Amino acid sequence: MIDTLTLLLLIYPLGALMIWLAPRAVPARTLALAVNLLGVLLAGLVLVSFDADQDGFQMLSRAAWIPSLNIDYAVGVDGISVLFLPATALLFLGVTLASWNSVQHDENKLPRLYHSLLLLQAGATLGVFCAIDTMLFFLFWELSLVPFYFLVNLWGVGPQRNYAATKYTLIMLGGGIPLLFGFILLAFNHAEYSGVGLPAGLSFNLATLLQTPLPDDLEWMVFTLLFLGFAVKTPIFPLHTWLPLLAKEGPVAVVALLTSLKLGAYGLIRFTVPLAPDAAQEMHWLLAGLGVFGLLFGAVAALAQTNLRSMLAYASLSHVGLVLLGIASFNLQGVQGAVLQLVNFTLVAGGLYLLTAFLQQRLGSTDLLSLGGAARSMPLLASLFLFFGLASIGMPGTSGFPAELLILVSAIQTHTGAGLAALFAMVIGAAYFLNIYRRAFLGPVLNEAVAAAADLRPRELALLLVFAALILGFGLFPAPLLEIIRPAAEAWVARLS
Amino acid sequence: MSEIYWNQHAAWPMLATLQLLPLFGAVLLLKLGESTKVIWLGCVIAGLELVLAIELYLQFDSKNPAYQFAERLDLLGPLTYHVGADGVTVLFILLAALIVFLVILYCIARGLAETVRLLAILLAIEGLMMSLLCTFNLLWFVIASGFELALAGYLIGNWATSPDKGIAVARFFQFQTIGLAMLWAGVLILGWSHHDLTGAAWTFDLLDLAEHPIPANYAAVCFFLLFYGFGVRTPVFPLHGWLPTVARHGNVAIAPALLLGVKIGIYGMVRFVLPLLPEAVATWAPFVVGFAAAGVFYAALLAIQQINLRHLIAYAVVSHTSLVILGLFSLDHVGLQGALLMTANFGLAATAMMLMTGLVYRRTWTTNMNKLGGLFDRIPIIGLTFFIAGLAIVGMPGTPGFDAAHLALEAAIHRFGALPAVAAALGNVAAAGFLLWAFQRAFLAPAPAGRGGAVERASRLEWIIASILVAAMLTAGFHMEPWLNLVEAPMQALAERFSHD
Repeated sequence: MIDTLTLLLLIYPLGALMIWLAPRAVPARTLALAVNLLGVLLAGLVLVSFDADQDGFQMLSRAAWIPSLNIDYAVGVDGISVLFLPATALLFLGVTLASWNSVQHDENKLPRLYHSLLLLQAGATLGVFCAIDTMLFFLFWELSLVPFYFLVNLWGVGPQRNYAATKYTLIMLGGGIPLLFGFILLAFNHAEYSGVGLPAGLSFNLATLLQTPLPDDLEWMVFTLLFLGFAVKTPIFPLHTWLPLLAKEGPVAVVALLTSLKLGAYGLIRFTVPLAPDAAQEMHWLLAGLGVFGLLFGAVAALAQTNLRSMLAYASLSHVGLVLLGIASFNLQGVQGAVLQLVNFTLVAGGLYLLTAFLQQRLGSTDLLSLGGAARSMPLLASLFLFFGLASIGMPGTSGFPAELLILVSAIQTHTGAGLAALFAMVIGAAYFLNIYRRAFLGPVLNEAVAAAADLRPRELALLLVFAALILGFGLFPAPLLEIIRPAAEAWVARLS
Repeated sequence: MSEIYWNQHAAWPMLATLQLLPLFGAVLLLKLGESTKVIWLGCVIAGLELVLAIELYLQFDSKNPAYQFAERLDLLGPLTYHVGADGVTVLFILLAALIVFLVILYCIARGLAETVRLLAILLAIEGLMMSLLCTFNLLWFVIASGFELALAGYLIGNWATSPDKGIAVARFFQFQTIGLAMLWAGVLILGWSHHDLTGAAWTFDLLDLAEHPIPANYAAVCFFLLFYGFGVRTPVFPLHGWLPTVARHGNVAIAPALLLGVKIGIYGMVRFVLPLLPEAVATWAPFVVGFAAAGVFYAALLAIQQINLRHLIAYAVVSHTSLVILGLFSLDHVGLQGALLMTANFGLAATAMMLMTGLVYRRTWTTNMNKLGGLFDRIPIIGLTFFIAGLAIVGMPGTPGFDAAHLALEAAIHRFGALPAVAAALGNVAAAGFLLWAFQRAFLAPAPAGRGGAVERASRLEWIIASILVAAMLTAGFHMEPWLNLVEAPMQALAERFSHD
């Protein structure tokens, strides 16, 4: 009997294979849609069957993968990771729908390749959230680079897409090295601790590694390596330069994945802090400092952008700074807020980027020069953009509010100065969003393409309404989500003291 | 070092069959002459050889550290026919049979001139390679090497792609003759010293030589002669001078795939040099490692500057061979395992890259990256195979390269500390840099203006070649365990020779 998590991870690559095996008469996008719907369903099932009262990993499934090195296929979810599964599945469904027409009709654009790559990307991303063996995690982590490389290269919208794809891939491969080293050092330490010797004493299982005491100097090394590795992906200032570039050059729908799925921040919460708790706590000033700096820098840089996509990229940099601040407070509210904020991103930033993708499809650009007065011809799109934007700056009533509130409260308690600076950054956030919104959507129509553009189609509208309903629902009733996160977050905080 | 004779656990002398079948096939092909049917006969023989190799793997008991399927026949004096296989041999035999089979399919897909003669030579080389892989006799090894290299040189000269093939052939033979001469000299010293020590008749048999270690004053000379002798054909930096020229002016894929796909040089070091000269190896390992570390970067740096895809792959091979040497000379059993698996992985991946480059060449008649581009839309399967091979070389998880590199890194951290390990990992990212960039320019960049007409789509045979390669790389990548087990026992035994310090 195959368990739900494994099934969830399997259907995506199998779907990708199906696309190539199915007769040509079956459009790739239909198959991709079916797989994505199934994925959302399964991820929902995981969430429903998740027992929120337990603090450990649940729905465990384990099989030997490379027995001679004790590397296992081991998956499981806890309160920190379980929410990401449905959010990710939903986002991939959204991206598939957003590319429904743009990829389909042109024979040279290889729709089968596009959709199968997207499915592989989905499988790898979900794997990152499910894996509890560090090597399996690393496998999924690196595998998620490959489809992305092709997606940006072949379907990017900017003239420098090849450069952007290579830069991103190389930076991520570079970031992978410290991760791999960190995991290997942990495995070595376990071998030493257990006294069995190499390679029989190696362990890559997260639960085992968490139980293994780590000597001080090694803990610092592990912290540095794992922090670096995840910081590149998050991205944490000053390692962020790939993000705006990619946002401008990559295919808009696909970039939605990158800006809204904060795998790096997840890695920090999941691996870096629990595996090196003392080092992390001593370095709280670095985490908080980088967080606040990123928060302010992203907000100010977003203020200066004239392209919706670049603006969103910097906004995402700013938001992730806030998450870092939440982590750095090392208390329950902080980490609950951080996880909630990350899940919230997936919906909010995903929604914003999908809307941007729709704009790009209609106008061929998202630059302010070619926009202006878009609300007149596309009122639905404009009002949804406003809604998602307000959610992104933490408007009460949206899911951004409880998350940001939790982080701010805990940050003001632990790092008062940083917390106050974060409050200030919120104001800038409102400024950059409202300013660019006014210039893009309000005012007179200056451009014929804008005047002729069609509003959201029913399919697009339905998709975004689902996102909006979730944002509103969780904004008004955040308690169930917080309850799911709580046990795991409490265990997370307990490790620190 | 114990051995089990073939009649104790097999129905027929499998190693002899593996060596003779392709040789007979070659003679048969030459007799029958050029015709389409004969071409397919050659293909069937290579397929049969692959089936035999798989059968050998299935029969092989990887738990038993002894040499298995041994055969012995006394011929002329010291030239005894004495063969046997351990896990490493089986791994390389499988690799060699697979690569020759694929190269033969490739020759048919390319539609090269005088195909039957070409296939006959390929089969002859395959037979000689099998002989090199399973023999215990160093003299036999040197002689078979000579024949094999001569045939490879013939391939380079007769099916070259450039009018400057003369320089390629000359460079190839200059280097290989010197390499072979050094190997020969080293082997002679070994044999003479054995004779001197024991007073027994001359012998070049690995098992005999291993019983009486060579005195320390000769060991260093012998080590360098053998190491460089093997190093020239591998090729190890800084003895790689023949490779770029041959890669550029010789065949696109055939000879390079045979020479670089099955790295007999590395195999020779593991089978002969490390067990016979453990002290000298331990003494000189730091120097070898230093050169190898330099080689990783030197070749990677040169690779980045190439505009010809064939040059680039050649330098990539040199860079990665240095990485293998690093793993090998960690002299730790995990490192040795990693290095061997890395060799097999690079062999397969480099073959995939060269065959795909050859298929591109068939369409564009150039491998200059400025004149390529725009190919991915037309031949995605060839592009994808090239890309996956690139990922395997980089050591991406999910390809065999990852597990291999992972093992080698673990050993390197353990043995040399973090710094050389970091250097090796950085070399890997450099490799990623040039391979991604090459892939981008050759396949993804817009097509150049001058190209007339659309590029021909992949034929069925090309699909088969590419699918076999991809399937082999991905299954080995996700399911590494059997291959690890295969080399575990012999490498454990080998590492014990070095563990006393």
